Amino acid sequence: MRAMRPEWLWLPLFAVPLVLHNEVALTVLVFTFILGILAVSFNLIFGYTGQLSMFHAAAFGISAYATHLSMAHLGVSFWIGMVIAVVLVVAISVVVGTICFRFRLKEFYFAIVTLAFSEMARLVILNWGSFTNGSLGINLTAKPMLWLPGGLVPVQGTRMWYYLALVALILTVFVCARVVHSWMGRSFAAIRLNDELADTLGINVFRYKLISFLVGNAGAAFAGALYAFYLSYVEPGYLSIEQSLAIVAMALLGGREPVAGPILGALVLTALPHVINFSAEVRILVYGLILILTILVLPRGIMGLVTKRRHVL
Amino acid sequence: MFFEVDGLTKRFGGLTAVSGISFAIARGEIVGIFGPNGSGKTTLLNLIAGVYPPTAGRLIWKDRPLAARRPHEVAALGIVKTFQNPQLFEELTVAEHVMIAAHLKLKRERGFGRVATLLEPARHDAALREHVERVLTLCRLIEVRDEAAANLSYGNEKMLGVAMALMCEPELLLLDEPATGLGQDEIGNLDGVLRDLRAHGTTLCVIDHKVGFLGGLADRAIAMHHGSKIAEGPPAAVLDDAAVVEAYLGRRHA
Repeated sequence: MRAMRPEWLWLPLFAVPLVLHNEVALTVLVFTFILGILAVSFNLIFGYTGQLSMFHAAAFGISAYATHLSMAHLGVSFWIGMVIAVVLVVAISVVVGTICFRFRLKEFYFAIVTLAFSEMARLVILNWGSFTNGSLGINLTAKPMLWLPGGLVPVQGTRMWYYLALVALILTVFVCARVVHSWMGRSFAAIRLNDELADTLGINVFRYKLISFLVGNAGAAFAGALYAFYLSYVEPGYLSIEQSLAIVAMALLGGREPVAGPILGALVLTALPHVINFSAEVRILVYGLILILTILVLPRGIMGLVTKRRHVL
Repeated sequence: MFFEVDGLTKRFGGLTAVSGISFAIARGEIVGIFGPNGSGKTTLLNLIAGVYPPTAGRLIWKDRPLAARRPHEVAALGIVKTFQNPQLFEELTVAEHVMIAAHLKLKRERGFGRVATLLEPARHDAALREHVERVLTLCRLIEVRDEAAANLSYGNEKMLGVAMALMCEPELLLLDEPATGLGQDEIGNLDGVLRDLRAHGTTLCVIDHKVGFLGGLADRAIAMHHGSKIAEGPPAAVLDDAAVVEAYLGRRHA
């Protein structure tokens, strides 16, 4: 993986829509890319820093609503709305992260408290009917606009979304890879592997846990805005526990490393319901089974089968 | 004064682990703290390193009260501690351990400018790696640099702890029983490394109950028993002190 610059592996993906004309398959890939952003950013918090955050779906959902609400009430474009949503999510994450990390909540306790915050956010959205239309959700009619050679055009149709989602995913992977393969990533690894030792070596455990949480949640916010406007629909289910678990499943299944590993998990879990027709209840069951099997048989995920151990240096 | 401990006391519930200890350390010296198991040596180091807050007493660093509260803040000021039982990052190699420990060095050299290095981490790390090599050479770990920490001998595990601490560029290095559990060759190796360190200007405070090793190394000795200081002075005199012999061997031998 090292010898061949991994950036080149992205190139064939740009050619896929030229060759592949199956609408369903392309749609699966668009979802994979957007959920890939979600899984890769989650992995920064979970896989690299070792904190099992159950707040990721909340960051994803809050951003979806906040993007729409900024556009509807402030009259801004999709992109400005998304920036507002990311800033809002980061601000909320500062509060949630500070509470969790100041009280040195770890492992199970951190997961439960972030889950509680996540549920709080979901309940607020569910019950703030005048703003969010409650459990019915909101149909989103606006489209992101892009400046292309032909002028300002709305992003619509599977092919345009394919390229937008792919570029967004590459951007996310690029940013996460830069962070992970730097002194900051080494501090994250130190915290994951032995936070007591990290502390003694002068690493501010609180600060770097918080940074990891903020950067990861900003990625989730990015994904949330894209996802909602691709689907043209947002509902409180975005923030559900099922969504949180699906994210964990993607990261575990794809593998912690390399940075792009969780995308494979996103692909498998997105494609599976299309390949085999599951009802909603069975889907949860299958997710659960995949989680259990992955942990038992593939502790390093699918990527663990093809890559050697990562080197921090 | 470089570093001073003034009336330091630590109580855990009803147990007084450290009781009103006072001493000073001058820049560049090696201070050895002796004492049998349970005499409060490790607690004393943990108090200095910020692992626990003291119940009473003060720590004075370069004539000012030590303001730091957490270990990472104490380390940032230049006081770094190693662990009695080697604490390592499982699954990483020796060189990776030392690379992680470069955190403080980077912070001191670049301040917030280090955020800019995120744009080009690879180029930036090259310079750091040279420094890692130097520290590994100094600690005689260069031959096992790419070995996973899990495969190291106990002596090398402990030495890796010293290497990581050195990478933090401490002014005062606190070593918690560095020789315990080591074979004779490994102790000789450790002794050499610590003397090299002093030659490089690092001040050392070493606790151990290996009298032979520490007695030979230290410039000055402090003996502890039941959390209190019972003797202080040149190592030979302290080890001959009646109270120290009694603490170690019992009353009949005193």
